[in-house]
Amino acid sequence: MRDDQLPVTLFRLAVRSHRNGIVATSILSVVLALANAVGYVQLAGTDPQSRALFAREMELVGRQLTYLLPVPLQLDTMMGYIHWRVFGAVPLVLGFWAVIAASGVRGDEEKGLVEQWIVTGLSRARYIVTRVLAFAAVALFAVAFFILALVASTAAAGDPLEVVPTALQGFALWLLTLACFGVALVAAQLFSTRRAAAGAAGIVLMALYMLNAAARNDALAEVQAISPFWLYERNTPMLRGGSLDAPALLGLIGASVVLALSAIAAFAGRDMGASVLRQAAPTGARTTRPSGDPLLRIAVLAPLDQQKLWVLGWTLGLALFAAYLVSLTRLMVDALTAIPQMRAIFEAMGASGGYDAFVGGMWGSSALLLLSIFAVATVNGWVGDENDGRLEAALAQPASRTRIVLERVAVLTIAAAVIVAVSTAAVAAVAAQQDITLTADRFATGSALLVTVPFALAGFGAVVTSWRPRAAVPVLFVIVALGYFVQQFTPLFEWPDWVKFASVFSLYGTPLSSEVDWPGIFALLAIGTGGTIAGVALMQRRDVGR
Amino acid sequence: MNAIETQRLTKDYGAGRGIFDLDLTVREGEILGFLGPNGAGKTTTIKLLMGTIRPTRGSAAIFGLDAQAQAVDVKRIVGYVPGELPQFGGWKGSEIVAWVAGLRGGLDGAEVTRVAERLDLDLGRRYREYSHGNKQKLALLLAFVHRPRLLILDEPTTGLDPLHQRVFYELLREARGHGATVFLSSHVMSEVEHVCDRVGIVREGRLVTAGPLSELAAIRSLRVEIVFDGSVPVERLRAVPGFEDVAATDHTVTGMLRGSFAPLLAALSGEPVASLTSREPSLEEVFLSFYDDPAPPGGAGRSDLTV
Repeated sequence: MRDDQLPVTLFRLAVRSHRNGIVATSILSVVLALANAVGYVQLAGTDPQSRALFAREMELVGRQLTYLLPVPLQLDTMMGYIHWRVFGAVPLVLGFWAVIAASGVRGDEEKGLVEQWIVTGLSRARYIVTRVLAFAAVALFAVAFFILALVASTAAAGDPLEVVPTALQGFALWLLTLACFGVALVAAQLFSTRRAAAGAAGIVLMALYMLNAAARNDALAEVQAISPFWLYERNTPMLRGGSLDAPALLGLIGASVVLALSAIAAFAGRDMGASVLRQAAPTGARTTRPSGDPLLRIAVLAPLDQQKLWVLGWTLGLALFAAYLVSLTRLMVDALTAIPQMRAIFEAMGASGGYDAFVGGMWGSSALLLLSIFAVATVNGWVGDENDGRLEAALAQPASRTRIVLERVAVLTIAAAVIVAVSTAAVAAVAAQQDITLTADRFATGSALLVTVPFALAGFGAVVTSWRPRAAVPVLFVIVALGYFVQQFTPLFEWPDWVKFASVFSLYGTPLSSEVDWPGIFALLAIGTGGTIAGVALMQRRDVGR
Repeated sequence: MNAIETQRLTKDYGAGRGIFDLDLTVREGEILGFLGPNGAGKTTTIKLLMGTIRPTRGSAAIFGLDAQAQAVDVKRIVGYVPGELPQFGGWKGSEIVAWVAGLRGGLDGAEVTRVAERLDLDLGRRYREYSHGNKQKLALLLAFVHRPRLLILDEPTTGLDPLHQRVFYELLREARGHGATVFLSSHVMSEVEHVCDRVGIVREGRLVTAGPLSELAAIRSLRVEIVFDGSVPVERLRAVPGFEDVAATDHTVTGMLRGSFAPLLAALSGEPVASLTSREPSLEEVFLSFYDDPAPPGGAGRSDLTV
């Protein structure tokens, strides 16, 4: 290969490496666009009076939610609502996609791929620049698709967005995504593993996001400009009288360039595979004995033990989120139930019966989504076991393929149960502190039944990883996205009851705030059990190994 | 009882890739070297024996146990070093050993320490901090430490320095002393010559030759060097049946002699021969001779050969 062809080849391969991200963001784009376009017309109505009323009430509510979303403005128009509800929430999603994508650069280095490029004759600077350009192209496509989905959805809902202002808002969103990529690219130079780089970049990004949230409430004004989210929010071309903010856009561009140059400098100055920081000393005292950890020697507990930090992180994260959500209950219920349209939505979500029903409904739907993400991420780990040769290493020992599949499903389900148990305790504790009385039996039963959803996803995961491991994560992602889509859209479009069988979320129902839907629960248990059995059967027949 | 027995074992990946109609017998207690270039089918054969991939047809038995249907029982008596090492990320070596101990239902801690010390392997470090050589040492430790009846080793000395290669050979000898059988895939001819009783050579998915090292070298050919006092009768020597790869300088002729010496000696009758030496070719020369030959028609090799 000629030297001048190397960047082109790398560019193509780098673009290809983002295909899962493209698929995920595209699906998300369609779901968000449809849900919000249709939802706005249903909630706000179509005549100016009802929209003005909706805007007045919703802006009052929205001002309580500035820790999550921008300050709501002009909610009497589709443009204003989409600007607040969609362009306010999507930056975090694209930001975390950028983190995953940029930490993939470190992942490629862990696999030895980066070294191959460098020894082939590509300079380190050109390597980083090419990776940045590839992501920029992919992000541009994702944002453009998102804009198209929004324009099409709002047109279908009878209130189309104006294309040019929406595209300009998309341009700001694209620059924000690139800045987030830059943050994670620098983190990838500071840490020697993909996981550590992604974790650190994620924390920094959350901190910058919270800094902007604080700035919305006039706090930390002196440092607000270092947050790319703050720079992004200066741009309001979709609002009446709004426009792009040139200094803010230049700030985003400047941040991206400075971060990329910093990454190049760090990459040029460090050893391949190492951190730019001082090399850490080898871990652990010298030994020639096996670990004394008894858990490592017990089936099911051994993989749980290996994943303890991962499970602990999810457990604490969900518990904190649960506590935070419950702490806002009184404020949100009082504000939102004043809006008739929102009351209808809460009724559909099973959260209309007072504070405890709101806790059940909101916590239930949030926990389901997060537990599903946990399940998909865990199944991704199963795929990693195969790609990295650990599955073959296990099968080189006297461990049957049946055991492997059963152990995987059991570990995922037990880990989900631990997360649910701790989160449930957090909900109960904060509810008690807020003087919200939960219906104990219903709350305990509904919480315990949450585990049926990750169990069902484990069943799906067992089938797909035993059949086509590469397809496992995309297939599960589609199942989760479809489930969310169906759950969100069934009340909006008044779809027939049987449609719920296409959604694991709908099958779970709303047992935390109303009656248990036992047929749905049994269906989830059947999916989990059947999937596990099918996974065991498929695993017997296929080749294992790289 | 044979340690390994395969019957028309085939894994067909299409486009001529895989292993085809392999009839292989490895007797208990012997060390068999399995040679072949990249892509010849060595690792495919090993994965079939380990039950990680499924045969297209045929069967494999390890000490009478079906390698597929009784895979778990097979693994109890097999120690395995894979050709491509797994990635254990941030696990410590000691944790990997404990995990394997759990899967095996226990390991002798003293034996772990003994082998780790022999290999100078620090189990306190994280796997990602190991050099390639240390990863290979850990794979060797996990293969040897439960004193298996059969060792299946796919290029086991890759990445090991000469000092630890020697330790590996010692471990191999000790295992054999305890009655272990060894199936060793390797590219390293000297290694195979050093440790193996018999050798099988695969080419394009087929076993092309097999036998004891001594027989293999002797049957195939002898390397002959003749020094003349006068001119060299090159054309006459090139006409000798079985005398191949003839190369001549001013007074010296070299070539490979297959079969009897009689025609060569007849051709030399009356010639001013100063010296004639012959020796068995090295295994490397034997190995290369199979790959210097053009492929048999249709790409097929001698699938009827049995090791």
